[in-house]
Amino acid sequence: MAASVREKQTVALKRMLNFNAPPLKNTTAEPVWKVLIYDRFGQDIISPLLSVKELRDMGITLHLLLHSDRDPIPDVPAVYFVMPTEENIDRICQDLRNQLYESYYLNFISAISRSKLEDIASAALAANAVTQVTKVFDQYLNFITLEDDMFILCHQNKELISYHAINRADIQDTDMESIMDTIVDSLFCFFVTLGAVPIIRCPRGNAAEMVAEKLDKKLRENLRDARNSLFTGDNMAAGQFSFQRPLFVLADRNVDMATPLHHTWTYQALIHDVLDFHLNRVMMEEGAGAEPSPAGARPKKKSRRTYDLTAADRFWQKHKGSPFPEVAESVQEQLDRYRAQEDEVKRLKSIMGLEGEDEGAISMLSDNTAKLTSAVSSLPELLEKKRLIDLHTNVATAILDHIKSRKLDVYFEYEEKLMSKSTLDKSLLDIISDPDAGTPEDKMRLFLIYYITAQLVPSESDLEQYKTALLDTGCDLSPLNYIKQWKAFTKMAATPANYGNSGVKPMGLFSRVMNTGSQFVMEGVKNLVLKQHNIPVTRILDNLMEMKSHPETDDYRYFDPKMLRGSESSIPRNKNPFQEAVVFVVGGGNYIEYQNLVDYAKSKQGKKVIYGCSELFNAAQFIKQLSQLGQK
Amino acid sequence: MEANSGLVPGRTLMGWKNPLRRRTMTSSIGDVSVCLQGCSSANMAVDITLLFKASVKTVKTRNKAIGIGFDSTKDEIFKRSRPKSGFSPRAKEVISNITKLKDFLLQHRKDYVSAGSLISSDLTRMTDNERDQIDQDAQIFMRTCSEAIKQLRNEAEKKITSTQIKEHRGAVLDLIEKYLRGVCKLYSEQRAIRVKRMVDKKRLSRLAPEHHSRVEKPREVEPVEGKTVKEEGSEKSVSEVLDNTVEHLWEEVRVEDELSPEEIQMFEQENQRLVSEMNNLVDEVRQIEGKVVEISRLQEIFAEKVLQQESEIDNIHQLVVGATENVKEGNEDIREAIKNNAGFRVWILFFLVMCSFSLLFLDWYDS
Repeated sequence: MAASVREKQTVALKRMLNFNAPPLKNTTAEPVWKVLIYDRFGQDIISPLLSVKELRDMGITLHLLLHSDRDPIPDVPAVYFVMPTEENIDRICQDLRNQLYESYYLNFISAISRSKLEDIASAALAANAVTQVTKVFDQYLNFITLEDDMFILCHQNKELISYHAINRADIQDTDMESIMDTIVDSLFCFFVTLGAVPIIRCPRGNAAEMVAEKLDKKLRENLRDARNSLFTGDNMAAGQFSFQRPLFVLADRNVDMATPLHHTWTYQALIHDVLDFHLNRVMMEEGAGAEPSPAGARPKKKSRRTYDLTAADRFWQKHKGSPFPEVAESVQEQLDRYRAQEDEVKRLKSIMGLEGEDEGAISMLSDNTAKLTSAVSSLPELLEKKRLIDLHTNVATAILDHIKSRKLDVYFEYEEKLMSKSTLDKSLLDIISDPDAGTPEDKMRLFLIYYITAQLVPSESDLEQYKTALLDTGCDLSPLNYIKQWKAFTKMAATPANYGNSGVKPMGLFSRVMNTGSQFVMEGVKNLVLKQHNIPVTRILDNLMEMKSHPETDDYRYFDPKMLRGSESSIPRNKNPFQEAVVFVVGGGNYIEYQNLVDYAKSKQGKKVIYGCSELFNAAQFIKQLSQLGQK
Repeated sequence: MEANSGLVPGRTLMGWKNPLRRRTMTSSIGDVSVCLQGCSSANMAVDITLLFKASVKTVKTRNKAIGIGFDSTKDEIFKRSRPKSGFSPRAKEVISNITKLKDFLLQHRKDYVSAGSLISSDLTRMTDNERDQIDQDAQIFMRTCSEAIKQLRNEAEKKITSTQIKEHRGAVLDLIEKYLRGVCKLYSEQRAIRVKRMVDKKRLSRLAPEHHSRVEKPREVEPVEGKTVKEEGSEKSVSEVLDNTVEHLWEEVRVEDELSPEEIQMFEQENQRLVSEMNNLVDEVRQIEGKVVEISRLQEIFAEKVLQQESEIDNIHQLVVGATENVKEGNEDIREAIKNNAGFRVWILFFLVMCSFSLLFLDWYDS
């Protein structure tokens, strides 16, 4: 895993766009133009990785959705990047019949079945376009990479494999089978792109185990088939510099229900929690301001702004995981630095004016022209920096507004204390009945976390008290029913998860964190510092990677697809600690876990951890799913 | 990796491992011994084009068995008569021209730049005339190419086609322009190197005659040599070149060799003075050249930016003109309205006066 998953997937996409030939390094190569056609799955895969400008650079003149109205462009090759579903195949056949393009390069995101291939073949025959179908490929790219070391399975139809879909009571076996198949297919594509066969470990008795069994079977079949195996060949020689195989840990959402509900304090997790954040894109409404519109004028429309948070944005990469006050400070710092540079450029103007008067014009001139040249060439950089600073300022201001109105810092602190079982200074009831601390959803989350992490089930009367308080503030109590069931179930199965010792040290109340001229007035917002702590998923990973013995993980099953015979044992053959690991949470994950794993990997030298989940939800969406589950 | 003979549909999902089947496939398709894993870098996309072709054959045989036939001949003839002078062939032509230019430039790049010594009597060495010729030709070529691109763009905009095709053509033309710009950069880099070398050469050749006077007066060698930045080697080679030309001059000088010591000293002093003057001049000129080059670069950047803003300024100009027109018309309308208002008032007054008179009249009539 020398290159990150994101790079590998980007390289694969670029190859595909270059008609499946390796792209040349020569920048002044002849341009070859083509049209890219994708469906929604393809769009989700491509959009975090390649920007429109990069597509243009690769010669893509138009990029269109498969199911839109497309006009015939008769002398252009078309590259298709679609899932092999029925509707897509039908549409492709229609395109062939209508002779829209000159030649067709079909790339299927996951493997296409023989019968569907024959459908296309018959349509091509009917349209007499067989020669036009130049190449057909199975790309095995059925997953979305969001960060260098984070991937999710899908974004479009995520209800089909959501936590709700997996855990609902009225689920049929066939439904479960199809969900598992979808998940396993994507995971298989992931490992093909990664180019490594992992060692799989999973807990017993839940959805994760089913996924592990199926994945093991699929990998094993593929490896057995020596002629067609996707894991042999030059790929292995080129990509593998380590002798070790990665560890693949499958976890189920049920092992840790509190973390998705937790209020967060790091930048990326906050954006996901508070704003509309999908596929590295933030969508915000720009407020129209608080002043009333003058009589007779039309009310100002609120514009929606979208921002892309990409890998090229250095500030974002550095501060994705920092706590929010640190982010605010850094933005301020960047702004000051930018202003200093701007002033320097402006100062050159005045120097230029002086040059004619001085006697030693030549010597001054040399300095000035050099300075001017450097200033002018650094202007585009400066503009780009300004744009990024604006972006982050807007985003951070929006988050700050939310924090202030909902008092998210209070919740965060309280929940941290709950999860670490340290002493609480305010009673839960106070916070719940506090009218201006947060939305009903926030309160529900707080209460659920309390319920999940409480060692002893609270007494009936206490529970009633809480329930009435919650109902007063307008919460919906159905998630609670489901959590009760879950708690009962997990109590039977195993000891409840321990959240570790975390400490939250408030750095005192800052009345004004920033100096004058700042846009961030963090009045009354506590500057909380996170102490390093490990959430359950991280601890499981730690135990498995370091081969530590722990009651929680000793019972995990062990699969090695390269072994000739599958075994039922849970004794690992390999006694050395692993250097690379992939953690996958079946049922959904979120950025808090991702951030925690990144911090863990950073603290251990030389370990690489990749995080994946079947879908990415924030607490609001999770609560919705829980209430659906609790309502039946 | 063993060579797969055609499509062994050994993909595990299908489970077709029937060797018999394989043979029939092979015979019908021919010798296609291509490994299915067609890639050798870190991408495991599987090329199933052959599988697709096999399915085509399958479907054909199946259709034949069922009795459905497709008349393929008619459509094929139809397809041949695609428009030959469409947008795409012309665009491809422009690209091939630009590629020709690029190849030409790259081919002669080494000779053009000729980093070798200046006295080499190699046959590959270019004269300046040839270089100028190349410059001129390249420039003319680039101009024609950019004009062709502009023409294509105008045509594309005039034709009424769908938005998608328009967008596509615009993007294609942008790509071609970028390619042309890349090739132009190649050319201008080459040219810059050549100009720099010319400048350096001229500078050297100016200094060279003094070198020979320095040979006779070795004390002046050190300061002068200290001042020059160039390496000794190139200077000596230059002096070698000019050796022949200056040699016969030297002959003439040696005739009047019997000079009195005072005259020799006078000449010495004058030489010294001249040398220092020349060196000052040389320094200043060198600096100025450097600055001029920088300024020209800056100028280029500024010109580019200004040109970019041209279209926007045009827009703004038009909008402003439109706005002035509107304001003028608005003023006219207001004036008319005022007039109408005034006229209206007169009529009302008249009407009221008439009414009051009629009332008075009626009143007098009644009484």
